Amino acid sequence: MLIGIGSDLQVKPGKSRSAWIGFALAALAVMVSWVIQSSYYLHIANLIGIYSLIVIGLNLLSGYTGQVSMGHAGFFAIGSYVSALLTMKLQIPFWLSIGAAALVASFSGMVIGIPAMKLSGPYLVMATVGFGEIIRLVLVNWTPVTRGAAGLTGIPLPSFLGIQVTSERDFFYLIYALVLVGTIAALRLSRSKVGRTFVAIREDELAAEAMGVPVNSYKVVAFVVSAAYAGIAGALYGSFAGVASPDNFTFEDSVGFLSMSVIGGNRTIYGALLGSFVLTVLSEALRVFQTYRLIIYGIILILTVIFVPQGLSGLARQGFVVFYRRKTRAASTKASLKEVKNR
Amino acid sequence: MQYFLNGLPIGAIYALVALGYSLIYASAGVLNWSQGDMVMLGAYIGYLLYRLLGINFVVSLGVSMVAVALIGMLVERSVLRPLRKRQAPAINMVIATLGVAIISRNIALVIWGPDAQAFPSPVGSSSVQMGSLSIIPQDILIVSVGLAVMLFLQYFLGYTREGKALRAVAQDRAAAILMGVDVKNSDALAFAVSSMMGAAAGILIAPVFFVTFNMGSGIGLKGFVAAVVGGLGNIPGAIAGGFFLGLTESMAGGKISSGYRDVIAFVLLILVLWLKPSGLFSRRIHQKV
Amino acid sequence: MVRDKKLLSTMVISMLVFGVLSLPGYTRSLNEKVLKIGVVGPESGGSAQLGQAQHKAVQMAVEEINASKGAGDWKLEAYFEDDEGNPTKSANATNKLLQKSEVNVIIGAINSSCTLADMVYTERAGIPQITAGSTGADITGQGKKWIFRTAVNDEFQANALVKYAVNVLGIKKVATLTAADDYGQSGAKLLKAAADKYGLELVATLTYNNGDKDFKPQLLTIKDKGAKGIFLWGLYTEAALIARQAQQLGVNSQLFGASGMAAMKLMELGEQAVEGMVLTQSFLPNSWDPKVKDFVTKYRQKYNEDPIPHAAQAYDTVYILADAIKRSKSMAPAKLREAISKTSWLQLVTGSPRFNGRGDDVGKRLLITKIQDGKFVFIKAVTAGE
Repeated sequence: MLIGIGSDLQVKPGKSRSAWIGFALAALAVMVSWVIQSSYYLHIANLIGIYSLIVIGLNLLSGYTGQVSMGHAGFFAIGSYVSALLTMKLQIPFWLSIGAAALVASFSGMVIGIPAMKLSGPYLVMATVGFGEIIRLVLVNWTPVTRGAAGLTGIPLPSFLGIQVTSERDFFYLIYALVLVGTIAALRLSRSKVGRTFVAIREDELAAEAMGVPVNSYKVVAFVVSAAYAGIAGALYGSFAGVASPDNFTFEDSVGFLSMSVIGGNRTIYGALLGSFVLTVLSEALRVFQTYRLIIYGIILILTVIFVPQGLSGLARQGFVVFYRRKTRAASTKASLKEVKNR
Repeated sequence: MQYFLNGLPIGAIYALVALGYSLIYASAGVLNWSQGDMVMLGAYIGYLLYRLLGINFVVSLGVSMVAVALIGMLVERSVLRPLRKRQAPAINMVIATLGVAIISRNIALVIWGPDAQAFPSPVGSSSVQMGSLSIIPQDILIVSVGLAVMLFLQYFLGYTREGKALRAVAQDRAAAILMGVDVKNSDALAFAVSSMMGAAAGILIAPVFFVTFNMGSGIGLKGFVAAVVGGLGNIPGAIAGGFFLGLTESMAGGKISSGYRDVIAFVLLILVLWLKPSGLFSRRIHQKV
Repeated sequence: MVRDKKLLSTMVISMLVFGVLSLPGYTRSLNEKVLKIGVVGPESGGSAQLGQAQHKAVQMAVEEINASKGAGDWKLEAYFEDDEGNPTKSANATNKLLQKSEVNVIIGAINSSCTLADMVYTERAGIPQITAGSTGADITGQGKKWIFRTAVNDEFQANALVKYAVNVLGIKKVATLTAADDYGQSGAKLLKAAADKYGLELVATLTYNNGDKDFKPQLLTIKDKGAKGIFLWGLYTEAALIARQAQQLGVNSQLFGASGMAAMKLMELGEQAVEGMVLTQSFLPNSWDPKVKDFVTKYRQKYNEDPIPHAAQAYDTVYILADAIKRSKSMAPAKLREAISKTSWLQLVTGSPRFNGRGDDVGKRLLITKIQDGKFVFIKAVTAGE
């Protein structure tokens, strides 16, 4: 596999493809560097993978379409609970429960997407915050099904295609396989007509409407797709952590996902991977500072959004020198999109 | 009736916080998520002065409001201004102010510890019975000082040079710049005034709620809801939204009173937004588009 | 192309950084007699008061034991990690303690949801875990092998309180007002069961969300329903607020509370309003018992504050571990677990711990107390059967 990618790199160093190879290599590097490492790092890596999926979905929604969500923990929660309850109560196979989680989450994405399509700015933020809180409160109070604040325990380990997942390493392969699929799907979507319509809506909603784009339907679609990602991540999380409780899905968690999205750069797909990686590693690395940990975390958060306004992927994309020439960015993105389409 | 009486003071507090959100949104066009933590800082500074140093309540209130106003200006200068300079997207401001909230909350935790601190009411804590109604002196204090601060804000916005400039910026930032208004100053002023009102809310509510390092998150969110209900950027709307939220909470809490109370509140909120996307009490918003 | 190379290099660099970070930490020679204790708890976030108290108490106990050779030849070392009350963070912290600090035993967490999340990993690693603060039924109800609990049993408390209300105070109509978290929800369930058992009429079962500050709507409902007793289940900050607001509204019902709110801070915050409140608790700060006196004096000296019940429970937990390692003479997890499960005859601050088959400490005594003149006054002691 390594040789395959390597030769591919030499034979055809096309632009879009090299981004791919970058990702594949990074994934490989992760695998190699962790083969010998302790399961604590595998655990964190797995968490990063799960967060990446949520943030990819969040980027499609808030970065591409321009609809900011501060309630993504809600979709994440729905995915976890649906999948966990189905596997626990009905003994449904794991892969089916992931599908069900994605389905129910996307449905809820539609339910919130419809009132949200008319909203923008702070009003949309409010609606999504409200959605996240509604889900959390229902989880706390609907005790016969959700077991209340105690949450679900003993969520079984998944088995996938007849292979029983047991260790952190097994999870690593399962999670990153899905991250890979999720990334490819998101990239394809972002470069498709739908993806370009998302961007058009973000850039100028009225103009897009005038061009005959059914803006509202596309906005709802963005919510549905985004929710599906979070739902899948939730299903993975439940079986990975073995437990799911309302404490996992708070407003703070939604804020965390949004921070990952912005810090990584919400207008690219791989920004989602960068953001989840950086913030998760940061919050673990800062543990050495004990009480001052969160103060430092806050400071780094602020400095990053000030000095890297387009997120880390923007920084990586433009190089360290030309990063101030932001105006040309939009044009170059469009150009590269066109090029991708032509190829 | 008792429910109504209970809803008034909490409504006044929400209104003060909502005004902070609205004012900053109107003038600077951003959401300041650290608004709730300005309430917390105000309460702690008040606690330090009034409880620990034994300074007079009115003086404590004033000093705390000024101190938090300075903190607000610091936030504007060190966070908003650099973001503006780099033309960062609005979402960055959201994350940055959330960062401010995380920092202030945890600094308070380090300094004052995790325990709630009692803040004795300057007017005593025993209630007065009038028939079947209980009237609590602190509640009267909250409502009256709260209203005084709101009146002061109206006067400030309506009759002072700085206030008029602030309103001009709120109505049309570009035009205000062309007319020679210093928008940077007006941003700083909006943050200062908003934080000041947050501080007032903090000290007023401290005897009722105690002072804790994370009191800002709950009050901040409620204040935001009130501001949205009233129509962000709409000053009378924010006040109406605050009282509306306080009263509804009190009334609904008495009747529904279960874990689902907030669920119903949020569902209604989303429905209201759906039907009236720019707030319940907004009138002028359509002119702004 | 250049751009993509940069992307690629950034990614590779970040991977390398991670690799460096992940270099194995210091390793320790096996014949050194050090028992490493990992401590997980919410040192920031909404329940920071509990996590910080746990931290302080464990720190103090470890220092004391090392100074007095309380664990024989063994030295204790504590490693603290904050979980912010978030189960995901708690599992991360537990993993770090298990893999990186290579602890031999874990004390924690406090929030039940966190403890349950941590248990997945202590079970997988086969390392004993003792929670000194979580009361959730699922923790010991799942039949897991490596979990122990030194937190005071809630069912025992609910029964004691209800029995006292009926038999001693003769109260017939009561209401519950409990936190909508795991602690409060399980408390509400246990109180309802106890009320049914002892023939009390439960006229209202109300809840509040953590972080709520305004309890007047609930209190007015209780007043309208004519409840003569209100059972609270939550933490002391909320309990003090509820008591004060009840007094302001002229709600004269008798208040009852469990050990979660039994702290000196309750009196400081509640002032006049908490006078007469009846509480069950695991230790009395002003007790005559020399163990308790000693603990409270030392804690006050060291931290300049009064210990809360969680602190006492965490403190005792370290003493249980010191005793266990002395007996097992080995850090081998299975032997350590065995030794902990056979704990007996220790006289500690919160009682004389001994664990049943599920890992619950059934040796705790329970004190029924009343607040009088700003002090907890002892009424009677109850000991738990199985």
